[in-house]
Amino acid sequence: MAGYIPMQQTNPPLESSRSTTEPRLVRFFLIAIVIVFLSLFLVLPLIAIFVKAFDKGIDVYFASIRHPDALAAIKLTLIVALIIVPLNAIFGIAAAWLVSKFDFKGKNILITIIDLPFAVSPVIAGLVFVLLFGTHGFLGPWLFEHDIKIIFAVPGIVLATLFVTLPFVARELIPLMQAQGSAEEEASFTLGANGWKTFLFVTLPKIKWGLLYGVILCNARSIGEFGAVSVVSGHIRGLTNTMPLHIEILYNEYQFSAAFAVASLMSILAIVTLVVKNFIEWKTKTNK
Amino acid sequence: MSIKIQNISKSFGSFKALDDIHIHIKTGELVALLGPSGSGKTTLLRIIAGLEAADQGSILFGNEDITHIRTKERKVGFVFQHYALFRHMSVFDNVAYGLKVRPRKSRPSKKEIEERVYELLRLVKLEAYANRYPTQLSGGQRQRVALARALAVEPKVLLLDEPFGALDAKVRKDLRRWLRRLHDNFQITSIFVTHDQEEALDVADRVVIMNEGRIEQIGSPEEVYDHPNSPFVYDFLGNVNLFRGRLHKGKLHQGNFQIDAPEFSDAENKTAIGYVRPHDISIEKEENSKDGVSAVIKHIHVVGPIVHLELKRNDTEEYLEAELTKDLYNNLQLKTGEKVFVKPKQLRVFIPEDYTI
Repeated sequence: MAGYIPMQQTNPPLESSRSTTEPRLVRFFLIAIVIVFLSLFLVLPLIAIFVKAFDKGIDVYFASIRHPDALAAIKLTLIVALIIVPLNAIFGIAAAWLVSKFDFKGKNILITIIDLPFAVSPVIAGLVFVLLFGTHGFLGPWLFEHDIKIIFAVPGIVLATLFVTLPFVARELIPLMQAQGSAEEEASFTLGANGWKTFLFVTLPKIKWGLLYGVILCNARSIGEFGAVSVVSGHIRGLTNTMPLHIEILYNEYQFSAAFAVASLMSILAIVTLVVKNFIEWKTKTNK
Repeated sequence: MSIKIQNISKSFGSFKALDDIHIHIKTGELVALLGPSGSGKTTLLRIIAGLEAADQGSILFGNEDITHIRTKERKVGFVFQHYALFRHMSVFDNVAYGLKVRPRKSRPSKKEIEERVYELLRLVKLEAYANRYPTQLSGGQRQRVALARALAVEPKVLLLDEPFGALDAKVRKDLRRWLRRLHDNFQITSIFVTHDQEEALDVADRVVIMNEGRIEQIGSPEEVYDHPNSPFVYDFLGNVNLFRGRLHKGKLHQGNFQIDAPEFSDAENKTAIGYVRPHDISIEKEENSKDGVSAVIKHIHVVGPIVHLELKRNDTEEYLEAELTKDLYNNLQLKTGEKVFVKPKQLRVFIPEDYTI
């Protein structure tokens, strides 16, 4: 369950003067703890993924990635991300705009509701959609009559992922836009610009790095989401399997090398995401 | 473009920010809205710009009612308190913004925009800074960019919200003179908001003094300073000494001294307060007349050509402030702890039932 991660951890560079630094032994001890911890729980598993993936040679590795089911899973995952990210970006901007520029009753309730997916377990998120759209669900009979498939189909996966990733962009932009205020937008209006031009030329450039950051987190989550998607997907190979689900199936069938091969692909995606994220953080800092 | 503000009221929840405001501003006038914080002056300015909607009343530019016209059509130049420059744009782009966002039909060509921007940057003496970003400028420079940006759209009305509030004293004074000259050259109807009475009196043609959402007094700087019509205005425009006493048949009695207050000749035994500016207090070393008040000099501070005295009255133990010229001070040879006689040269009496401070 990913929590809210603030955009910047602002650690002002500490002036290392004698009076404020710890004794050498303490420093050594603290650094050692961090290194051991990181290697044990982050670096080692990551290496293990790649070791296991190439366990049976490079041919098996590429064969498992090129397998039609794997390719279908990769394709589905990317399609879902492609749908989710723009939707969330639009929703996030709209919600942040609403919260930061207007005062209305129930604003706090709205912010709390936006946070709800962070608080609810993904499995429950998935079940909610089954309850709503499943055959025995609330809207199930009506959907069946009209031959619309949501559960155990791509729309269900998109909905579940959308629910889980909903807060990412909004959560990123709300504090940012609240801090920035609306003086520049007001200035733009007095200079004769309309709402759309003001958004395009003034607001968007101000929030672009925050927006991109939210988009990246949202993207990472939509690619990696397992719980909610698992409930609604139905695990139909080549049709409704996303990458995480595909990995699970392979693993359960004792095809460890194939499972880890796909897993390694996801890890690479994650690492790329992290690099881009760090670049953006660095860029935001230099822009300040 | 003249501005008529007619019975404008505005509330935020239960707080009445503006209460039935009427102001008529003539074409080409430079008017200051002066008042303490919370007096509603900024709200009024924002209503004129259309950034805030009035609960009632109307605003006319010339003969045109613009109460329900949106900000972008009002053609006002607005200079924000903290400049509100576009952080991600260079100085050039900031100034050019108002021209660039015009609809294609009325938008000047690229070359025309460039000429206009450089003309304005010359005017504010910032041509050399066209490619800088707002964060690379000093406060005074940012303020001038904000002005150039507001002027670029050739506004009919210029509105400035605490234009010099965030600047240090020296820059503030320079910019204030510069704004006055600019206004005299452009003859554009301007309103600026300030809480600094010196600034308002120094720059404006007319001063509107506001308090708690109402107008206390409107007049030229000289009028409002010399003839305040309420204790609030007296108190707000500079320092003032209070002489609390009894008003009886045109005279204010206090202890064993009395001063003429001819405008209250029919008053009978009323409590009243006399207001005296520090520079309207004369200091004498000897008791020449009966209406002098004896006091002890507690502090003397000399600021340039003016000497400020802090005195404590011997009869009521109240403190008084007096200002005199350095020449007079030298002639009198005053010292701290010395006993002197104080006499108001000019005083204005208000009866507290009518006003509260």
